Amino acid sequence: MRERATTAADHLTDEELFALAVPPAGVPEALPRHLSECLRCSRALADWKGAVRDLGDEGEEALASRSAQEWRAVEDATLTAVGRQGSPGRGRRRRLSWALPAAAALLLGALLLTGRNSSARIESGSDDTASFSAQDRADDALLRDVDRLASGDETPGGWGALAPDPSAVDSAAAPEGRS
Amino acid sequence: MKLLAGALLFVALAPASLASPPQLPEGKWWKRPRLAAEINLTDDQAREIESIFSRTRPELIDRKAELEKRQGELQDALDANADRRTISTKVEAVENARAGLQKARILMVLDMKQVLKPDQWDRLVRMREQLRERRIDRLERFRERRMDRRP
Repeated sequence: MRERATTAADHLTDEELFALAVPPAGVPEALPRHLSECLRCSRALADWKGAVRDLGDEGEEALASRSAQEWRAVEDATLTAVGRQGSPGRGRRRRLSWALPAAAALLLGALLLTGRNSSARIESGSDDTASFSAQDRADDALLRDVDRLASGDETPGGWGALAPDPSAVDSAAAPEGRS
Repeated sequence: MKLLAGALLFVALAPASLASPPQLPEGKWWKRPRLAAEINLTDDQAREIESIFSRTRPELIDRKAELEKRQGELQDALDANADRRTISTKVEAVENARAGLQKARILMVLDMKQVLKPDQWDRLVRMREQLRERRIDRLERFRERRMDRRP
Protein backbone atom coordinates (compact mmCIF):
# COMPACT_ATOMS: atom_id res chain seq x y z
CA MET A 1 0.00 0.00 0.00
CA ARG A 2 1.28 3.41 -0.89
CA GLU A 3 -0.47 6.34 0.69
CA ARG A 4 1.55 8.80 -1.33
CA ALA A 5 0.57 7.16 -4.62
CA THR A 6 -3.03 8.27 -4.24
CA THR A 7 -4.54 11.69 -4.31
CA ALA A 8 -7.08 13.09 -1.92
CA ALA A 9 -9.67 13.01 -4.71
CA ASP A 10 -9.35 9.23 -4.84
CA HIS A 11 -10.28 8.67 -1.21
CA LEU A 12 -13.51 6.81 -0.61
CA THR A 13 -16.47 8.75 0.68
CA ASP A 14 -18.31 7.87 3.87
CA GLU A 15 -21.11 6.40 1.79
CA GLU A 16 -18.75 4.24 -0.22
CA LEU A 17 -17.04 2.99 2.92
CA PHE A 18 -20.35 2.30 4.57
CA ALA A 19 -21.62 0.43 1.51
CA LEU A 20 -18.52 -1.76 1.64
CA ALA A 21 -18.88 -2.36 5.38
CA VAL A 22 -22.60 -3.15 5.12
CA PRO A 23 -23.08 -4.50 1.61
CA PRO A 24 -26.65 -4.68 0.29
CA ALA A 25 -28.28 -8.02 1.12
CA GLY A 26 -25.12 -9.06 2.87
CA VAL A 27 -23.38 -9.83 -0.40
CA PRO A 28 -19.83 -8.52 -0.33
CA GLU A 29 -19.12 -5.92 -2.95
CA ALA A 30 -15.99 -5.87 -5.04
CA LEU A 31 -13.33 -3.85 -3.30
CA PRO A 32 -12.20 -0.75 -5.18
CA ARG A 33 -8.61 -0.89 -6.34
CA HIS A 34 -7.98 2.26 -4.35
CA LEU A 35 -8.34 0.28 -1.13
CA SER A 36 -5.29 -1.80 -1.91
CA GLU A 37 -3.24 1.33 -2.37
CA CYS A 38 -4.50 3.64 0.36
CA LEU A 39 -3.66 2.99 3.98
CA ARG A 40 -6.10 5.55 5.26
CA CYS A 41 -9.11 4.21 3.42
CA SER A 42 -8.30 0.60 4.28
CA ARG A 43 -8.08 1.53 7.95
CA ALA A 44 -11.28 3.55 7.70
CA LEU A 45 -13.03 0.53 6.22
CA ALA A 46 -11.70 -1.64 9.04
CA ASP A 47 -13.11 0.91 11.51
CA TRP A 48 -16.49 0.79 9.82
CA LYS A 49 -16.54 -2.98 9.83
CA GLY A 50 -15.67 -3.03 13.51
CA ALA A 51 -18.52 -0.65 14.29
CA VAL A 52 -20.93 -2.70 12.20
CA ARG A 53 -19.82 -5.88 13.92
CA ASP A 54 -20.65 -4.30 17.26
CA LEU A 55 -24.08 -3.55 15.87
CA GLY A 56 -24.88 -7.00 14.64
CA ASP A 57 -22.88 -9.44 16.67
CA GLU A 58 -23.97 -9.20 20.26
CA GLY A 59 -26.24 -11.94 21.55
CA GLU A 60 -28.02 -12.77 18.33
CA GLU A 61 -30.73 -14.83 19.90
CA ALA A 62 -31.55 -12.25 22.52
CA LEU A 63 -31.46 -9.41 20.07
CA ALA A 64 -33.70 -11.25 17.68
CA SER A 65 -36.48 -10.94 20.22
CA ARG A 66 -36.45 -7.12 20.20
CA SER A 67 -39.51 -5.45 18.82
CA ALA A 68 -39.31 -3.26 15.73
CA GLN A 69 -39.80 -0.18 17.91
CA GLU A 70 -36.95 -1.18 20.18
CA TRP A 71 -34.68 -1.72 17.25
CA ARG A 72 -35.66 1.59 15.73
CA ALA A 73 -34.84 3.36 19.00
CA VAL A 74 -31.46 1.67 19.17
CA GLU A 75 -30.68 2.45 15.54
CA ASP A 76 -31.72 6.07 16.03
CA ALA A 77 -29.39 6.38 18.99
CA THR A 78 -26.51 4.84 17.05
CA LEU A 79 -27.10 6.90 13.93
CA THR A 80 -27.30 10.05 15.98
CA ALA A 81 -24.09 9.24 17.80
CA VAL A 82 -22.24 8.39 14.61
CA GLY A 83 -23.68 11.34 12.72
CA ARG A 84 -22.80 13.78 15.48
CA GLN A 85 -19.17 12.76 15.37
CA GLY A 86 -18.68 12.32 11.64
CA SER A 87 -17.72 9.01 10.12
CA PRO A 88 -14.55 7.02 9.71
CA GLY A 89 -13.60 8.10 6.23
CA ARG A 90 -12.22 11.31 4.91
CA GLY A 91 -9.50 12.07 7.40
CA ARG A 92 -11.74 11.93 10.43
CA ARG A 93 -10.16 8.87 11.84
CA ARG A 94 -8.69 10.59 14.85
CA ARG A 95 -12.08 11.79 16.04
CA LEU A 96 -13.77 8.51 15.16
CA SER A 97 -11.29 6.53 17.19
CA TRP A 98 -13.49 7.28 20.16
CA ALA A 99 -16.74 8.18 18.45
CA LEU A 100 -17.47 4.70 17.11
CA PRO A 101 -16.78 2.91 20.38
CA ALA A 102 -18.98 5.53 22.01
CA ALA A 103 -21.74 4.79 19.51
CA ALA A 104 -21.31 1.08 20.10
CA ALA A 105 -21.45 1.62 23.86
CA LEU A 106 -24.57 3.70 23.45
CA LEU A 107 -26.07 0.97 21.33
CA LEU A 108 -25.32 -1.73 23.86
CA GLY A 109 -26.60 0.49 26.66
CA ALA A 110 -29.84 0.95 24.78
CA LEU A 111 -30.07 -2.78 24.23
CA LEU A 112 -29.59 -3.45 27.90
CA LEU A 113 -32.22 -0.87 28.71
CA THR A 114 -34.76 -2.33 26.33
CA GLY A 115 -33.79 -5.76 27.59
CA ARG A 116 -34.59 -4.66 31.12
CA ASN A 117 -37.91 -3.24 30.02
CA SER A 118 -38.85 -6.47 28.36
CA SER A 119 -37.28 -8.81 30.87
CA ALA A 120 -40.54 -10.67 31.33
CA ARG A 121 -40.52 -11.62 27.67
CA ILE A 122 -36.92 -12.67 27.77
CA GLU A 123 -37.43 -14.83 30.83
CA SER A 124 -40.54 -16.42 29.42
CA GLY A 125 -39.35 -17.45 26.02
CA SER A 126 -36.37 -15.62 24.63
CA ASP A 127 -32.82 -16.83 24.84
CA ASP A 128 -29.94 -15.32 26.73
CA THR A 129 -26.86 -16.27 28.59
CA ALA A 130 -28.14 -15.32 32.03
CA SER A 131 -27.87 -18.89 33.22
CA PHE A 132 -24.29 -19.26 31.99
CA SER A 133 -21.59 -19.94 34.54
CA ALA A 134 -18.28 -18.09 34.32
CA GLN A 135 -16.83 -21.12 32.56
CA ASP A 136 -19.73 -21.20 30.11
CA ARG A 137 -19.16 -17.54 29.28
CA ALA A 138 -15.46 -18.17 28.71
CA ASP A 139 -16.30 -21.17 26.52
CA ASP A 140 -18.89 -19.15 24.63
CA ALA A 141 -16.33 -16.44 23.91
CA LEU A 142 -13.78 -19.06 22.85
CA LEU A 143 -16.20 -20.65 20.38
CA ARG A 144 -17.13 -17.28 18.89
CA ASP A 145 -13.45 -16.39 18.54
CA VAL A 146 -12.72 -19.72 16.91
CA ASP A 147 -15.59 -19.27 14.44
CA ARG A 148 -14.36 -15.83 13.51
CA LEU A 149 -10.68 -16.70 13.29
CA ALA A 150 -11.19 -19.97 11.45
CA SER A 151 -13.33 -18.26 8.83
CA GLY A 152 -10.76 -15.51 8.37
CA ASP A 153 -13.28 -12.85 9.31
CA GLU A 154 -11.22 -10.98 11.87
CA THR A 155 -12.15 -7.37 11.47
CA PRO A 156 -10.83 -5.16 12.92
CA GLY A 157 -7.74 -7.33 13.31
CA GLY A 158 -7.71 -8.59 9.73
CA TRP A 159 -5.77 -7.58 6.70
CA GLY A 160 -7.05 -4.02 6.83
CA ALA A 161 -5.50 -3.67 10.26
CA LEU A 162 -2.22 -5.26 9.24
CA ALA A 163 -1.18 -2.07 7.53
CA PRO A 164 0.79 0.44 9.58
CA ASP A 165 -1.30 3.04 11.37
CA PRO A 166 -1.77 5.92 8.96
CA SER A 167 -2.65 8.41 11.68
CA ALA A 168 0.71 10.06 11.29
CA VAL A 169 -0.10 10.69 7.64
CA ASP A 170 -3.58 11.86 8.60
CA SER A 171 -2.32 14.35 11.13
CA ALA A 172 0.26 15.69 8.73
CA ALA A 173 -1.83 16.25 5.64
CA ALA A 174 -5.30 14.89 5.97
CA PRO A 175 -7.88 16.73 3.94
CA GLU A 176 -11.18 17.16 5.74
CA GLY A 177 -13.32 15.52 3.14
CA ARG A 178 -13.11 14.49 -0.44
CA SER A 179 -11.46 17.34 -2.16
CA MET B 1 -7.89 -50.36 -10.34
CA LYS B 2 -7.85 -49.35 -6.71
CA LEU B 3 -6.09 -46.19 -7.73
CA LEU B 4 -8.75 -45.45 -10.30
CA ALA B 5 -11.52 -46.13 -7.81
CA GLY B 6 -9.81 -43.85 -5.31
CA ALA B 7 -9.49 -41.13 -7.88
CA LEU B 8 -13.15 -41.45 -8.85
CA LEU B 9 -14.15 -41.33 -5.19
CA PHE B 10 -12.08 -38.22 -4.70
CA VAL B 11 -13.68 -36.55 -7.69
CA ALA B 12 -17.12 -37.57 -6.46
CA LEU B 13 -16.48 -36.19 -3.01
CA ALA B 14 -14.57 -33.11 -4.06
CA PRO B 15 -17.59 -30.79 -4.34
CA ALA B 16 -18.64 -31.70 -0.80
CA SER B 17 -15.17 -31.14 0.57
CA LEU B 18 -15.00 -27.77 -1.12
CA ALA B 19 -18.34 -26.71 0.30
CA SER B 20 -18.39 -24.27 3.17
CA PRO B 21 -18.00 -25.86 6.59
CA PRO B 22 -21.11 -26.55 8.67
CA GLN B 23 -22.35 -23.45 10.40
CA LEU B 24 -24.09 -23.70 13.74
CA PRO B 25 -25.45 -20.98 15.98
CA GLU B 26 -22.57 -19.15 17.58
CA GLY B 27 -21.07 -19.90 20.94
CA LYS B 28 -22.31 -22.51 23.37
CA TRP B 29 -25.62 -23.00 21.63
CA TRP B 30 -26.49 -26.21 23.46
CA LYS B 31 -26.59 -24.26 26.72
CA ARG B 32 -29.13 -21.75 25.42
CA PRO B 33 -32.58 -22.64 26.70
CA ARG B 34 -34.55 -21.40 23.71
CA LEU B 35 -32.27 -23.04 21.17
CA ALA B 36 -32.23 -26.29 23.11
CA ALA B 37 -36.03 -26.25 23.33
CA GLU B 38 -36.39 -25.47 19.63
CA ILE B 39 -34.57 -28.63 18.63
CA ASN B 40 -35.83 -30.74 21.55
CA LEU B 41 -32.33 -31.29 22.82
CA THR B 42 -32.37 -33.85 25.62
CA ASP B 43 -30.28 -33.58 28.76
CA ASP B 44 -28.26 -36.59 27.67
CA GLN B 45 -27.54 -35.05 24.30
CA ALA B 46 -26.54 -31.76 25.93
CA ARG B 47 -24.19 -33.62 28.25
CA GLU B 48 -22.64 -35.51 25.38
CA ILE B 49 -22.17 -32.37 23.33
CA GLU B 50 -20.64 -30.64 26.33
CA SER B 51 -18.29 -33.60 26.66
CA ILE B 52 -17.25 -33.33 23.00
CA PHE B 53 -16.57 -29.65 23.45
CA SER B 54 -14.62 -30.25 26.67
CA ARG B 55 -12.45 -32.80 24.89
CA THR B 56 -11.80 -30.40 22.02
CA ARG B 57 -11.36 -27.25 24.11
CA PRO B 58 -7.62 -27.68 24.80
CA GLU B 59 -6.93 -28.12 21.09
CA LEU B 60 -9.07 -25.12 20.20
CA ILE B 61 -7.23 -23.01 22.76
CA ASP B 62 -3.84 -24.17 21.52
CA ARG B 63 -4.67 -23.69 17.85
CA LYS B 64 -6.24 -20.31 18.45
CA ALA B 65 -3.11 -19.24 20.34
CA GLU B 66 -0.95 -20.59 17.53
CA LEU B 67 -2.92 -18.62 14.94
CA GLU B 68 -2.73 -15.43 16.97
CA LYS B 69 0.98 -15.94 17.46
CA ARG B 70 1.52 -16.37 13.72
CA GLN B 71 -0.62 -13.32 13.02
CA GLY B 72 1.54 -11.36 15.44
CA GLU B 73 4.68 -12.50 13.67
CA LEU B 74 3.23 -11.49 10.33
CA GLN B 75 2.26 -8.13 11.75
CA ASP B 76 5.80 -7.64 13.06
CA ALA B 77 7.25 -8.56 9.67
CA LEU B 78 4.94 -6.10 7.92
CA ASP B 79 5.76 -3.37 10.40
CA ALA B 80 9.46 -4.02 9.85
CA ASN B 81 9.02 -3.84 6.07
CA ALA B 82 10.42 -7.34 5.73
CA ASP B 83 11.24 -8.66 2.29
CA ARG B 84 8.70 -10.39 0.07
CA ARG B 85 9.95 -13.90 0.78
CA THR B 86 9.76 -13.42 4.54
CA ILE B 87 6.24 -12.04 4.30
CA SER B 88 5.25 -14.92 2.06
CA THR B 89 6.52 -17.43 4.64
CA LYS B 90 4.70 -15.65 7.44
CA VAL B 91 1.46 -15.56 5.45
CA GLU B 92 1.75 -19.29 4.85
CA ALA B 93 2.29 -19.86 8.54
CA VAL B 94 -0.81 -17.83 9.36
CA GLU B 95 -2.93 -19.73 6.87
CA ASN B 96 -1.60 -23.10 8.00
CA ALA B 97 -2.45 -22.21 11.58
CA ARG B 98 -5.88 -21.10 10.46
CA ALA B 99 -6.40 -24.38 8.61
CA GLY B 100 -5.47 -26.28 11.75
CA LEU B 101 -8.00 -24.33 13.78
CA GLN B 102 -10.68 -24.82 11.15
CA LYS B 103 -9.99 -28.54 11.03
CA ALA B 104 -10.32 -28.90 14.80
CA ARG B 105 -13.54 -26.89 14.73
CA ILE B 106 -15.09 -28.87 11.88
CA LEU B 107 -14.24 -32.21 13.44
CA MET B 108 -15.80 -31.05 16.70
CA VAL B 109 -18.95 -29.97 14.88
CA LEU B 110 -19.11 -33.31 13.06
CA ASP B 111 -18.84 -35.17 16.36
CA MET B 112 -21.65 -33.03 17.70
CA LYS B 113 -23.70 -33.79 14.61
CA GLN B 114 -23.46 -37.51 15.40
CA VAL B 115 -25.16 -36.86 18.73
CA LEU B 116 -28.17 -35.19 17.12
CA LYS B 117 -30.97 -36.77 15.17
CA PRO B 118 -31.12 -35.67 11.53
CA ASP B 119 -34.17 -33.48 12.08
CA GLN B 120 -32.52 -31.83 15.09
CA TRP B 121 -29.46 -31.09 13.01
CA ASP B 122 -31.54 -29.72 10.16
CA ARG B 123 -33.45 -27.45 12.51
CA LEU B 124 -30.24 -26.25 14.13
CA VAL B 125 -28.67 -25.40 10.77
CA ARG B 126 -31.89 -23.71 9.70
CA MET B 127 -31.95 -21.66 12.90
CA ARG B 128 -28.43 -20.53 12.24
CA GLU B 129 -29.46 -19.44 8.78
CA GLN B 130 -32.50 -17.61 10.12
CA LEU B 131 -30.38 -15.80 12.67
CA ARG B 132 -27.93 -14.86 9.94
CA GLU B 133 -30.72 -13.55 7.75
CA ARG B 134 -32.14 -11.52 10.63
CA ARG B 135 -28.74 -10.01 11.22
CA ILE B 136 -28.40 -9.13 7.55
CA ASP B 137 -31.89 -7.60 7.59
CA ARG B 138 -30.97 -5.50 10.60
CA LEU B 139 -27.75 -4.31 9.03
CA GLU B 140 -29.47 -3.66 5.74
CA ARG B 141 -32.14 -1.59 7.45
CA PHE B 142 -29.47 0.24 9.37
CA ARG B 143 -27.59 0.88 6.14
CA GLU B 144 -30.66 2.17 4.31
CA ARG B 145 -31.61 4.48 7.13
CA ARG B 146 -28.12 5.87 7.30
CA MET B 147 -28.13 6.46 3.55
CA ASP B 148 -31.48 8.23 3.92
CA ARG B 149 -29.90 10.61 6.37
CA ARG B 150 -27.22 11.71 3.98
CA PRO B 151 -27.11 15.47 3.78
